[in-house]
Amino acid sequence: MATSTSIRPVARRLLKANIAQNAPPTFLLPSLLAPVQQSSPFSSTSTSLYPRDMNRQRGVSTRRRTGLRQPLSVSKTPLPKPVLDPAKRPEVDVDVHHGLWDFFYNKKKPFATPLELTQHGRGWTVEELRHKSFEDLHALWWVCCKERNRIATDKYERNRVKAGSGDLESGARDFNVRRTMRGIKHTLTERYYAYREADVLMYEDEEIDVTGQGPPYIPKEAVLEDEVPEEVEAAPAAESADKTDIPPPAATEKGSVVEKPL
Amino acid sequence: MATRHITKAPRMGTKALYLPNFRIVLLNDPKLSPHFASFLVPLNLNKLDLRDYLYNCYGIPVRSVRSYIQMQKVQQDKNNAKRVSPRRWHRPRSIKKMMVEMDDPFVWPKTPEDFSQWDKDFVEKREKANKKARDAQGPGGASKPPAERKSIAEQAKELLEGKKEWRRDDNEYEDEIVEEDADGEWEEVEQNVKI
Repeated sequence: MATSTSIRPVARRLLKANIAQNAPPTFLLPSLLAPVQQSSPFSSTSTSLYPRDMNRQRGVSTRRRTGLRQPLSVSKTPLPKPVLDPAKRPEVDVDVHHGLWDFFYNKKKPFATPLELTQHGRGWTVEELRHKSFEDLHALWWVCCKERNRIATDKYERNRVKAGSGDLESGARDFNVRRTMRGIKHTLTERYYAYREADVLMYEDEEIDVTGQGPPYIPKEAVLEDEVPEEVEAAPAAESADKTDIPPPAATEKGSVVEKPL
Repeated sequence: MATRHITKAPRMGTKALYLPNFRIVLLNDPKLSPHFASFLVPLNLNKLDLRDYLYNCYGIPVRSVRSYIQMQKVQQDKNNAKRVSPRRWHRPRSIKKMMVEMDDPFVWPKTPEDFSQWDKDFVEKREKANKKARDAQGPGGASKPPAERKSIAEQAKELLEGKKEWRRDDNEYEDEIVEEDADGEWEEVEQNVKI
């Protein structure tokens, strides 16, 4: 191995010389093969030889885009060229039910006209929201969230292309949505305080069993209006009779003066 | 025998968020690929949040999210300042943008070419007039020459060169009402005017 490697550059030099027709005479061949002892090169690397090493990939660089030294099977196939002009690209088939459509009012326009933006009602009032369950309020909150996203996207795009007016209209729309959201929070806060108060009252109420054993609500004997005994009814009448003895206040005195027959 | 390890699907967040109070804005970037969508998001939102938000709220499965925070330029005084005070330096809050990769492509609807429904011409004129008034009120506005000065100078030059003759229109409005007839008699033009 060692000899073959040492001989190889020499042989190549000989071949090159033959091609160039500067071949040394044949009788000098032994001197060429003889080890060079007299010379003392500055560097161990021989500069006269190219390539310097036996690397087959020398000169192949992706960075310099040199390409491969040998063609491949796919080399004959032309590479597809990118279409740089967006107008020449084929139209993308967008799904009708794509989730991003929820950011738009209309699938044909990127932003709504001011007239379309004004076509909305008022927000929910607190009074209306009080009758709703938590699930309803929660769903309404998310509807409001998505509506605010839609309004913001509409406004941003309109101002990006400098389409003109519409900020006032979308602001009014956003105001109503935010008022609804405020109402939802108001209602939930009210419910929270009602719950806290009921929690305190529960311990004071004798009809409610806090121990958790048995029924939680044990109503006492209720007295209905139909079953009111006569004795109880007579009592208020007696009270009113007693009241007549008490001297009436000044205002009633004046009234009594008017009622006197002339 | 070793079982092949199956890569797990991305897990969604488990923490329920009941009443979120933020907005995201879908941005129109014509250079973006149809499989990508970019959003303006609040600064405290992270990639996982946006992925969960888009899936649960809009039903969009997201493959990957890229996020970017854009610092704003330093400016004099805040945006809402009525009168800009000089050298009160202020840097507006940074903007956070996120780009998501989606399974299904999405393309924005075409931007209309005619903006008459949005009163574009009127709004532009109004903005122009407002800017003019603002500049006149601003620093150095009073010392700037008015736009009429050029026209006045041209008219004066024409008069001095004798191209035009000076005429004082005292009867400017009378001429409109009364005209001289061919016979040389004065005739009232506006006959049917009821006073």
